[in-house]
Amino acid sequence: METNDKLLKDFFSENKKEIADNGFSNRVMQNLPETADRSWIVWVFAAIGMAISIYFGLTSGLLEHAFSIFFKTVPYYYLIAGIACFPLLGTAGYYLSQNKSYAF
Amino acid sequence: MSNTDDIRWVTQVALLGDKNAFDKLTCKYQSPIRRFFLNLTAGDGPLSDDLAQETFIKAYLNITAFKGISGFSTWLYRIAYNVYYDSVRAHKKYADINEWEIDSQHQTQNEFSAEKMDIYRALRLLRKEEQTAVLLFYMEDKTHPEIAKIMNCPLGTVKTYILKGKEKLSLYLTNAGYGN
Repeated sequence: METNDKLLKDFFSENKKEIADNGFSNRVMQNLPETADRSWIVWVFAAIGMAISIYFGLTSGLLEHAFSIFFKTVPYYYLIAGIACFPLLGTAGYYLSQNKSYAF
Repeated sequence: MSNTDDIRWVTQVALLGDKNAFDKLTCKYQSPIRRFFLNLTAGDGPLSDDLAQETFIKAYLNITAFKGISGFSTWLYRIAYNVYYDSVRAHKKYADINEWEIDSQHQTQNEFSAEKMDIYRALRLLRKEEQTAVLLFYMEDKTHPEIAKIMNCPLGTVKTYILKGKEKLSLYLTNAGYGN
């Protein structure tokens, strides 16, 4: 019985081949029926989360306190450098998202 | 890519309708599902691609029915199994036509023909249920309980299908000179 099992395992593993996609996935995607895009759910929950955080931050005085400490202790040129980074990071992020195969 | 990725992609599809996540699932499972159909249809490439496409579209439309109790792969094979048997039932009225002749004609038109004739001949000896169980067990590396879920039948029945299939195939392969 074990010999039979080995015979079959060998036979099937010899005949087991990966099938190349050859556009199959694209054809499936093109034939998928249209459904409603529900990605707005993410933004709604993000907005709710931010609103709650800001509300509690303002009512408790935590944000005010944090800002006063921040502006007292952090030099202004650090802020300028930090803000200047945004366009750079944004450009890099956009470039990477458009070139998925790009790797450092 | 693990089962965790599957669950993440399924969640994105089910909650957000994210087609990119479904594309990743399709890319990951297209090969095993198409191979499964290719073997069941005796190498009929166009038919197996049509059945595979139908399977993925049904999976997309019913993705909220996936509860994550079994793996996504098992769930997808369950749909594939149903699609195949629906197709078999739909073509039952043409049963008088010699399927083997038609399949052989198709085999000459696809790239897998020559080297795979033996496996198709061997599978031809089995009943449809035995073919399915044997393919899932030996080719797709599914366990007995997973096959029972896919075929929606008791575990003992699956074991019987595999045992009977194994006996028939062993005899055929030994006579054909395999294992010498």
